[in-house]
Amino acid sequence: MNKKRGLGFYLKIYFKIIGQDIKSKMSYRSDFIISTLGMILTNVAGFVSFWIMFRNFPSINGWGYYEMLFLYGFSLIAITPVQCLFDNNWSLRMFVYSGDFIKYYFRPINLFFYFQSEVFDVKGLGQLAFGIGTLVYAWGKLGLAVNAVVLIKLILFLITASLFMIALQNAAAAACFWMENSYFILELAFKFKDYAKYPITIFNAVFKFIFTFMIPIAFIAYYPSMIILRPDEVGLLSLLSPVIGLIFFYGSYKLWMLGASRYNGTGS
Amino acid sequence: MENVIEIKGLTKEFKVLNRHEGIKGSFKDLFSRDYKIVKAVDDISMNVGQGEIVGYLGPNGAGKSTTIKMMTGVLEPSSGELIVNGRVPYKERKKNCEDIGVVFGQRSQLWWALPLVESFKLLKDIYQIPDKDYKDMLDIYGTMVDLDMLLHKPVRQMSLGQRTLSDILAAFLHNPKIVFLDEPTIGLDVSMKSKIRELILELNKKKNTTVILTTHDMGDVDALCRRIVIIDKGKKLYDNDIQHLRGFFGSYRTLKIRPKEEIKLAADELEKELKDLDIKVSISDDNEWINLLVNEDKIKVLDVLSKVQSLHDIRDMQLEEISTEEVIKKIYEGGI
Amino acid sequence: MGLRKYFTLTRMGIIEALHYRLSLYVKIIGNLLYLILIYYLWKAIFHSAGTDVVNGMTFESTMVYLVLASALYGFMEMYVVWEIGRNIQKGDIVVYMLKPMEYRHYLFWELSGSLIVGFLTTVLPTFIVVAIVTHGTIPLGINLAYFVVSVALAMIINFQIDFMVGNICFFTESIWGINMMKQVIVLLLSGATIPIAFFPEAVKNVVNVLPFVAIYDSPLTILLNGNGDSAMVMEKLLIQLGWAVGLTILSHIFWKISVRQVTVNGG
Repeated sequence: MNKKRGLGFYLKIYFKIIGQDIKSKMSYRSDFIISTLGMILTNVAGFVSFWIMFRNFPSINGWGYYEMLFLYGFSLIAITPVQCLFDNNWSLRMFVYSGDFIKYYFRPINLFFYFQSEVFDVKGLGQLAFGIGTLVYAWGKLGLAVNAVVLIKLILFLITASLFMIALQNAAAAACFWMENSYFILELAFKFKDYAKYPITIFNAVFKFIFTFMIPIAFIAYYPSMIILRPDEVGLLSLLSPVIGLIFFYGSYKLWMLGASRYNGTGS
Repeated sequence: MENVIEIKGLTKEFKVLNRHEGIKGSFKDLFSRDYKIVKAVDDISMNVGQGEIVGYLGPNGAGKSTTIKMMTGVLEPSSGELIVNGRVPYKERKKNCEDIGVVFGQRSQLWWALPLVESFKLLKDIYQIPDKDYKDMLDIYGTMVDLDMLLHKPVRQMSLGQRTLSDILAAFLHNPKIVFLDEPTIGLDVSMKSKIRELILELNKKKNTTVILTTHDMGDVDALCRRIVIIDKGKKLYDNDIQHLRGFFGSYRTLKIRPKEEIKLAADELEKELKDLDIKVSISDDNEWINLLVNEDKIKVLDVLSKVQSLHDIRDMQLEEISTEEVIKKIYEGGI
Repeated sequence: MGLRKYFTLTRMGIIEALHYRLSLYVKIIGNLLYLILIYYLWKAIFHSAGTDVVNGMTFESTMVYLVLASALYGFMEMYVVWEIGRNIQKGDIVVYMLKPMEYRHYLFWELSGSLIVGFLTTVLPTFIVVAIVTHGTIPLGINLAYFVVSVALAMIINFQIDFMVGNICFFTESIWGINMMKQVIVLLLSGATIPIAFFPEAVKNVVNVLPFVAIYDSPLTILLNGNGDSAMVMEKLLIQLGWAVGLTILSHIFWKISVRQVTVNGG
């Protein structure tokens, strides 16, 4: 028997598995309410921090309030895919630790795919709404152009930005294959992403390099949004960011899979 | 008979840090590079044919799970050859998975919150099972278990027995060539155990599926396995059929007697009196019988009985063949 | 003896914390990078502001405050919510209920081991480095003693809040969502991400009646301004004590309610 498993197969399976997850979630209603509430509070807290900051300091390094707001909205949207589609990464450590991770090896489909497809986090969509609202508001205040080309660019570079966030989270989650007690790494990555909304120009050369190429938070908002925000100042890194994003994503995938191949299933 | 599993000189090594005790030791470990190599599986060779049910036995930590993890493609062997269905599992994990089914102890692989039928539908898609085969399989299941009741029950609401049953059904669903069952009856009550054993046996017969079974329950072994493989400390100790195993130590039989005297006292005395005859004396779990394990190659049971009778008053006696459990216990204890 | 069983747990906690050696190294590097990030951000912020003093705080004092807050956070964040959530979901909670010690106490004393390791590996080194680098920003006097007392109280307050939030896991599956929410809110309202001094007056008034300021802001204010101003110190310590007692009682009630939930619904 020769069974082909191409993109079509994976897409179909993906929606089926996700469908199951959403059905499961519906069976825990209180859970849904509590976590949605949590997501809203988290976002409100984020906004309040932003507001307090800019009440005291109207600009940072030549970036005005609405430009910063734009970056903020951009980063919120860019984080949505990782929140909705890769949420199971947060549980990876528990699966590995308890030994339950082994079940993912017993299916004839890609391990990474199978693991990530199992959870779809609906609350991430709330964050998306926050992000879009912020972006649109800032967009209007800045008087940026609206036309088809810009919108296509926007979508392309939002996807780019989200690739970096996904890569960052994959790599952070994969740490649990090498070390016990690795939760704080994921959390650190999550904390770092809060600083993605600030322009990379605030750092000196060394840390600019680190936050561009090693912990690529500069790509989560700054570089890709330059394309829309300051089209006249676009640099090479901004233009190349989609390619770099793919490389980062692929690298994190490989790292994750390498970790999985080290797993010995004893649960420690 | 065609071989579905071929193993030659299979070895798996793990590197573990030598840890030290106490707070001081823990500080030392922070900087330690003191590793030792542990061989979890050590030079194992065997072949398994299509349709066989093999009991893969050994005490805890013997290397059973490690072997199974290698056969299922989870772990890469350190050395040796391992071919499952003509493939190297570790290199072609996904392909390998199409032809195997796995039930791993109490770790359910089903979708927890949903009725079983949803898991089945998903598995049908994942394994690309043709509609007809899927329907046929469900029909077969229908003749074996109360399927309607199971299919529409969310897995999380099932009893442990129902869940295990469901997991086994799920493992056979895509009609794999080999099914690995790791302690399938652990924690179940007697009637559920026999139900699960029947199911496995029937599926094995109907589909000619090879079954590799690890268990600590000798009831499973007696009910299911014609062949058993025993390993300990990573090394293979025994590989043959089960009848042969019973005769492995010559013809052992157990003579059970119930003395008139206090049982502990009588057992102690008998131990002394029968010391020269190479007979193992023990007291049964219910504290009713004294068990005398007799090797009939050396001395006849009747001779033992008459000797015992000459020394003690006996109220009752029974004669039993040695159980698989006792044989295996002897092998674990280094009886070879 | 009574106390002995608690100290055994502390000792086990220390051994376990050291067990995770690789993570200890990574943690130190990760926190360092995080501090660098904050440093550059606030440098840019103050640079853009054009003045040296904003809301009564200089760049230097803001940094000292934030660095120490981050160190305190690294030491006090023990993932209690996470731990409780896991125990509940795996059903281990029942095992703890059978132990001859209240679950809350068990958790606390077990964590106290990691707290000691955390204090030695994060708070103390950070404190020493900051004290040397900025020589003079941290006054070295009686305030150090007050600070230690204040941190101990903060620890209790933080633990009780965590414990109560952790109890929510009895009612929900998404542990990390709860955990994230708690962290973001506590960090903001306690002044760990932005010093309370920068808050608008109205917000400040609200925040000051909440228990969160007692976790990070109170110990840090006592440390940085506590020399001489003993009235302020006493007031802060008393408020902390009040919160510690109040929240301990509250978390006890929370636990009772949650446990009833379990026994009624069978988990």
